[in-house]
Amino acid sequence: MVENFAILPCNGLDKCAGVISRELAVKLCENAKNEIICPVFYRVSELKYNRIAGEHPLLVIDGCQTRCASKLAAEKNLKITRKLTVTEEAKTHKIQLKRDLKIQENENALIEIILNELNKTEDKITQTSIETNHSFHFEYETFQYGKFIFRVPKNPQIYFNENDCWAFIIGNRARLGVTDFVQQNLSDILYFTPPDIGAEIEQFGEVGDIESSKSVFELISPVSGKVVTINKELVQKPEMINENPYEKGWMAEIELTDFESDKELLIGFEKYFEIMKRKVEDLNG
Amino acid sequence: MDKKVKVIPCSGIGKVYGLIAREAALKTVFDLLPEKSETMCLAYIVTGDKEAKEKIEGFDCITVDGCPKMCASKNVSLAGGNVIEEVKVLDTVKEHKGKKFGSPTQLDADGELVMDEIAAKIAKKINELN
Repeated sequence: MVENFAILPCNGLDKCAGVISRELAVKLCENAKNEIICPVFYRVSELKYNRIAGEHPLLVIDGCQTRCASKLAAEKNLKITRKLTVTEEAKTHKIQLKRDLKIQENENALIEIILNELNKTEDKITQTSIETNHSFHFEYETFQYGKFIFRVPKNPQIYFNENDCWAFIIGNRARLGVTDFVQQNLSDILYFTPPDIGAEIEQFGEVGDIESSKSVFELISPVSGKVVTINKELVQKPEMINENPYEKGWMAEIELTDFESDKELLIGFEKYFEIMKRKVEDLNG
Repeated sequence: MDKKVKVIPCSGIGKVYGLIAREAALKTVFDLLPEKSETMCLAYIVTGDKEAKEKIEGFDCITVDGCPKMCASKNVSLAGGNVIEEVKVLDTVKEHKGKKFGSPTQLDADGELVMDEIAAKIAKKINELN
């Protein structure tokens, strides 16, 4: 089946075939671990999608013969593992597509056929993800400013950087997230973009981002290592970061490569608590 | 000369707010004001294709963006479109705090409600122009 692919659809809106390309991409991501590349945003955020395309086999789905997705892949020098064009598939399977942009009976039938064909293949790539469902509970120190309450966990195994991100060290792994200071400032968090599983992260490298209607915040990893798992629930429910950024709202886990060295540039609860208080006061002063 | 206003949603794939943007644009051009508006494919516009550029350059456009990245507004402007209104899905979403709008593939009842509101706002803007 198509799993662990990067999927680049044309995502078209001019013709029904483009709408089908989008529907195929979304369905492939709903039912398996695949990543969508947005053909418009790719031109803005090259770094993010270059990484996704570089780390996964690539499936390109063009709607029509304009082949916008294929052209984009060529422009970006991407290696295409598999490619299909919706209009050609419709012809092969003798399905007449309507001019309407709404997906109806014929279009749904074609989508099912294409999905079945794609899922018959065995292109599954081995994942290095290790699922974890451990939940942790911490004791907190709090700081109140007006109606806002900022919490910082007192656990000595939790380290912070001055970018307001934390790492909870569990054996040779670290669980990562953002602090209350970040979630309070962002307000309602609408999106969580996780890092790629298997990605090698330098200390202070970007390891996912979160976004509210106010701004985007990149999680700056306090530690170096390889991403081994992400909090998948957070993708659907990013508001869990607002509820508790240290427990339910953790973002990723990293297999540590050199924690002893990383530790030298990190701070513990007491120092971070003071820094955070200053930041809150400066921000509101 | 084609006087129809172009209503162009972001490509917004994989997120419910992108789906709201897209559906609101489609509702406007197909159901509410088909005689006064039409849509264009943003993924095609950003290819820089000559034909795509000719279709948009100098034309009045209303962009509908699902997130603060504002892909539709930025790219339509870059392609030479005359952006007369930037519609931000999140502005309407904020008025419905706490509600769930559906998934990236399917809008729930509240998602449909927000989509209808946005489509109505776009249609109002187009009617004001005429």
